[in-house]
Amino acid sequence: MEIMNEVKVTINVNGQQVTATVAPEESLLDFLRNRAGATEVKCGCNKGDCGTCTVVLDGQTVKSCLVLAAQADNKQVLTVKGLEKEQLMQDLQVSFANHGAVQCGFCTPGMLVTAKTFLEKNPQPSRQEIREALSGNLCRCTGYQKIVDAVAAVAAGKNDK
Amino acid sequence: MNSFAYIKPRTKEEALSVLHELGARAKIAAGCTNVLPDIKAKKLADCVLVDISSLAELKGIKVTGETITLGSLVTISELLESEAVASDAAVLWQAAKVFADPLTRNRATIGGNLANASPAGDGIVPLMALGAIVTVENVNGKREIPLEDLFTGPGQNALKPDELITAVSFARATNTKSNFIKFGLRKSMAISLVSIAVVMETNGDKLDRIRIALGALAPTPVRAKKTEELLAGKQIGPEVLEQASELIKTEVEPITDVRASREYRLHLTGVLLKRAIETALA
Repeated sequence: MEIMNEVKVTINVNGQQVTATVAPEESLLDFLRNRAGATEVKCGCNKGDCGTCTVVLDGQTVKSCLVLAAQADNKQVLTVKGLEKEQLMQDLQVSFANHGAVQCGFCTPGMLVTAKTFLEKNPQPSRQEIREALSGNLCRCTGYQKIVDAVAAVAAGKNDK
Repeated sequence: MNSFAYIKPRTKEEALSVLHELGARAKIAAGCTNVLPDIKAKKLADCVLVDISSLAELKGIKVTGETITLGSLVTISELLESEAVASDAAVLWQAAKVFADPLTRNRATIGGNLANASPAGDGIVPLMALGAIVTVENVNGKREIPLEDLFTGPGQNALKPDELITAVSFARATNTKSNFIKFGLRKSMAISLVSIAVVMETNGDKLDRIRIALGALAPTPVRAKKTEELLAGKQIGPEVLEQASELIKTEVEPITDVRASREYRLHLTGVLLKRAIETALA
């Protein structure tokens, strides 16, 4: 244990080990975008409000701008790109497209990650529960209605429009 | 030159000796839901980030006899998933349910919420109504601070630079009626305009004892002790509730800010006291 001015970290990003030397204050979000090339993780507010940087860190859904890269050392990160190998994520992506739940698309990567991990925990949610689950992800095109529709359709097993 | 450094102690003892050496240069990093925004906003610079996030000694919720002890690294999501909290500290569970948003709750820790000392802290207000005690440690040993004595001003706490919050504990509130209300401008991710927690022991339709804690109404979260005294031993009806909702306004000192005026906050205080007690009793 020593005081370090830079920290060498290795993070598994979507199955790939990525090693880099980072500044102590560097966020996981910056690591993902600038060092791991995971630009599907978007940077919106960079202070924990908007949720577009949402990823799964060792099984937990988190805003990656609120995690130090150093704290993710030896951990596994899944972004929307890593999760889309799974059927549930594909279903959500199709449903988002079918329901017009993507307007400018900037919030979508975070919305999808949050929706996917939520549906795994709660496969048959009410609309209210979906709204609460997505409440940490902001959409500035005011498309919440369609986003909730898209998630509800997947939960109901009805993916067509 | 970079103004930040980083150290990751492997045990609580190591963490305490690091804090002892670094003193005020240390900034504890756990969930980082305040630390990272503060770094971005340049409110925080020139410090050593002491990453305590992996210290097993500070994790977990323990029930021993009549006491529930939360390690300071317990996250808000863990509070929500805990059966002990849901059944024996319902007021805290209710607050956890409206704390920030579901993603932030996966990272934010209860110790961090206390240390951050926000007058509106949504974890602080219910714990204060539960009469919680905070365990604080440094290399020389530990001391216990009643939660209501922990805060000295907005964002200010009574901790010395080498001290670490390691746990917060309270008596199981098994046979109580309680309620937490957060009044914000939206339902999620809001900073409370006013928050209130009540924990009551009742005997038939008589109120034996009540603890009332309030957030965002003074430089720190506060107890409303005069109002508690007024209500203790009374049968709760419209008249006594009216009296209490007037008295409680004399126990707070709200400010006008970007979210609400002093007058509106005072009005809300009376309304929310009535609403919290009525909901708890219903």
